[in-house]
Amino acid sequence: MKIKEVISKGIWTENPVFRLMLGICPTLATSTSVQNAIGMGIAVIFVLTFSNLLISLIRSIVPDKIRIPIFISIIATFVTIVDLIMAAYVPDLHKSLGLFIPLIVVNCIILGRAEAFAYKNTILFSVIDGIAMGIGFTVALSLIATFREILGNGTWLGNPLFGSSFEPALLMILPSGAFFTIAFIIAFLNDLDQRRKRHDKPAVQ
Amino acid sequence: MRFVVILGLVTALSAGALALVNQITDPVIQTRGREALAAAVTLVLPGSEGGLILTHDQNGETGYFAGFRNPDTTDLIGYAFRSSSQGYSSTIQTLVGVDSSGSILAIHVLSQQETPGLGTRCQEIRRGETEPWWQAQFKGKRISEVAVDKDNGIIQSITGATITSRAITDGIRKQVHGLLPRWNTEAKGQASRPNRSGS
Amino acid sequence: MQMDIQSLLIISISAVFISNFVLSRILGLCPFIGVSKQLDSALGMGIAVIFVMGVASAVTWVIYQYLMLPSDQNLIYLLLKGHIQNPPNLVYLRTLVFILVIAALVQFVEMVIQKTSPGLYRALGIYLPLITTNCTVLGVSILNIDSNYNFIESVVNGLMSGIGFTLALILMSGIREKLELANLPKAMRGTPIAFILAGLMALAFLGFSGLTIR
Repeated sequence: MKIKEVISKGIWTENPVFRLMLGICPTLATSTSVQNAIGMGIAVIFVLTFSNLLISLIRSIVPDKIRIPIFISIIATFVTIVDLIMAAYVPDLHKSLGLFIPLIVVNCIILGRAEAFAYKNTILFSVIDGIAMGIGFTVALSLIATFREILGNGTWLGNPLFGSSFEPALLMILPSGAFFTIAFIIAFLNDLDQRRKRHDKPAVQ
Repeated sequence: MRFVVILGLVTALSAGALALVNQITDPVIQTRGREALAAAVTLVLPGSEGGLILTHDQNGETGYFAGFRNPDTTDLIGYAFRSSSQGYSSTIQTLVGVDSSGSILAIHVLSQQETPGLGTRCQEIRRGETEPWWQAQFKGKRISEVAVDKDNGIIQSITGATITSRAITDGIRKQVHGLLPRWNTEAKGQASRPNRSGS
Repeated sequence: MQMDIQSLLIISISAVFISNFVLSRILGLCPFIGVSKQLDSALGMGIAVIFVMGVASAVTWVIYQYLMLPSDQNLIYLLLKGHIQNPPNLVYLRTLVFILVIAALVQFVEMVIQKTSPGLYRALGIYLPLITTNCTVLGVSILNIDSNYNFIESVVNGLMSGIGFTLALILMSGIREKLELANLPKAMRGTPIAFILAGLMALAFLGFSGLTIR
């Protein structure tokens, strides 16, 4: 397994949000603005990388039967560290993200990667996987947030894009907007997949 | 049994690490909180920037600040207090500044997690303006009029965010009614002191 | 705090309809998309979640109030009164302690279901231990604290939020069972149409936002 492979899997081919269906649970609500999405993404990258690192470090001494509670303790510790650091040094972002920062601990990406990757691979690969998956997650969430913020608020990263006569589609900022956006993105990717399959395989009647 | 011990050890180590981080970050968090509050108090008590601010913070919930124009207690501008109310999807914290009769000087919504595009408009600042338009309408209103239009008051609700508007408005009104008796008592106490120049 | 039936009613209606965990707060999506394909497993999952959310609300509330808050009733303070001056502020341990408590609770519920209803146990499969990572349980525990609810209010909020979650789950699975037979464009099948469905349901539930009780 090469480093390049790990990186490309994390960001594209096995993108946690759109492919593995992980990580949207407690974070879809933060996709109302690109700023929030990136903030959440950075927090997740931090937790994912460090928890992968630590779990990979101790993987040979962790008893198999109680590995899940141990993973959870480690993840919760890093989540709390991120929570405290954000409250101290970026209080506005911390207030924006609110409840969803502690909820990172139940973000299936982190436990999922701990179990599927960090527990079975070397430290170097685990760290790279953590960063790559984290970046993949951030890109995915920011994409959703881009649609929601531009259509629902007329801004991107807080900068107004249209004139004052633009009436934003309020629906996009509401939960329904989140659901519709992610539905269409996944449908689009499914379609791409199917076209590629038809290309590779000659049509069989 | 061995497993319980290992789990206990991991948890203890985690808690220890967190205690360490908390030691570092807690002072920063507290200072930021205090600074933000102080800035907000001068915002809702216009004129108090160079003057004295007294804290009557008995148990947080029913505490308030008294703001003066000068660095002494001669010229009372008014009182600032926190109003906390259940909005649509969050607890809304508002800092309110009133004069001694209970008329509103200014309000400042400190925190809310209401519906984006609806309730969050209570903090919206229109292009070209410097303060949230919905909060600005509270300036100068007598406390008896402070209620949303649907409740026969003169505060305009945010379209589509009646719950948020009503929560903030009613919270403010109730807090003032609760605190007014104490302020009146205090004002009487002040009046009987020799160096009061009257206001 | 005064026990107010009205405030409990408001909490209940809010938890089920106005601030529904799935459709308003966008929490609990993992099992929502995963389990909701069949009505029976959706119902079983829902009941398990309601139970866990109720008990978790109770237990986490007690632990927070009596072991973490720096108040005069802090048990650690009362125990070590001779040795320490101030009650310790352990609020920062909230996330760690809550999630471990929830993990233990879910283990317990798993064992109970395994013994009493092996059929349901098999049907729920991996989704049962996944209740631990269900954002609704940790979410409601934290929300109870942040909303300053007392014990009864916390438990009621926990149970009712669970019922709201189950309601959304059941509505979803009922429609999805029928949707399996529909002729959809290939790209839309499975997850995308489920999300569209969720979006439509969220839209419908938005109508509850004007609900007030006097």
